[in-house]
Amino acid sequence: MHKELEHSFVELLEKHQNIIHKVCRLYTYDYDAHNDLFQEITIQLWKAYPKFRGDAKFSTWMYRVGLNTAITLYRKSKRRIKTQDFDDVQFKISAEEYDDTEEQQLKLLYNAVKQLNDIEKALVFLYLEDKNYREISETMGISEVNARVKMNRVKTKLRTILNP
Amino acid sequence: MDELELLKKDWKKGEDSFPKLSYNEIYKMILKKSSSIVKWIFIISILEFVFWVALSFFLKYSGYSDDIVYVESSTAFIVLSVISYAILAYFFYRFYMNYRTINTTDSATTLMENILKTRRTVKQYVGFNLIVMVVSIGVLLPHFMNQDPKTKTIIENATANGELFKFYAGIIIVTLLMLALVIGVLLLFYWLIYGILLKRLNKNYRELKKLEV
Repeated sequence: MHKELEHSFVELLEKHQNIIHKVCRLYTYDYDAHNDLFQEITIQLWKAYPKFRGDAKFSTWMYRVGLNTAITLYRKSKRRIKTQDFDDVQFKISAEEYDDTEEQQLKLLYNAVKQLNDIEKALVFLYLEDKNYREISETMGISEVNARVKMNRVKTKLRTILNP
Repeated sequence: MDELELLKKDWKKGEDSFPKLSYNEIYKMILKKSSSIVKWIFIISILEFVFWVALSFFLKYSGYSDDIVYVESSTAFIVLSVISYAILAYFFYRFYMNYRTINTTDSATTLMENILKTRRTVKQYVGFNLIVMVVSIGVLLPHFMNQDPKTKTIIENATANGELFKFYAGIIIVTLLMLALVIGVLLLFYWLIYGILLKRLNKNYRELKKLEV
């Protein structure tokens, strides 16, 4: 029974692993941190998996556990050392390929998002993942009105960071 | 164009750039141990319970208690012990139940509230012990001084020399300093726990609750 559970979980996770990668991308700054957070989210998902009933979509359930781990449960591991910036590496490749103003703007945008606080990042993440305000409010445990107001403030804040 | 819309467009493209972890790599991960703050809170809370129980055992079975035994009759002592263990059991039960309600699939706010509630139970237990400590010192010390033959002689000598006030003032100051030291150490301990473990959680919780009616 346990083996079956393990098997079904690992298979599902393998299929949906991009969700975790995306959470890690927003909340970490280098490869080691990315891997560290990825591992912690995976462990938290596995621990919660026996209670997963399948009435929610596996991916929806992953968003919750993933964000909760990044915002609340995760403790930065001491063993990692700062290595190269993740987005810098990604950007270098894309900049060589395109090198146009939109890419430049995107780099600035990603940097601006990195400056947001944990909650604002979570809101941006859910927005980028096409979640509506009802889903955002349910995931964060705040009212829908509050979610909208907060999202508008995030947009304003991003604009301020981009055009100081 | 809206900044976030531009970002969204690129966000979707970025999906292919992530490393693809294999079945085996993921499988290895689920065998590893978590280092979440919930685990640390659990360990620290258990240590706090153990600390207070160990302290009460130490006081009971060290030489200090021999002096107290004749201060309070042994029946009163048994009753007090039973009550203190019942209170410990109550707090521990509440702590355990709170701990069990911590669920990563709850909303972010509920999860944070449940974690904070678990901590609060342990804090209340420590607070309760501190109050008991202060009260029992306040009650037992005068009692002890009236009964102990050695102390009686000292008091009589002090009265004869006209230094009774000095003697009592000294006792009170020393007691208060000792209490301040113990409470100070505990507060430092809490400040450290909150500083290290819960700073981020508290900050995020306040941020979530902002504007919430």
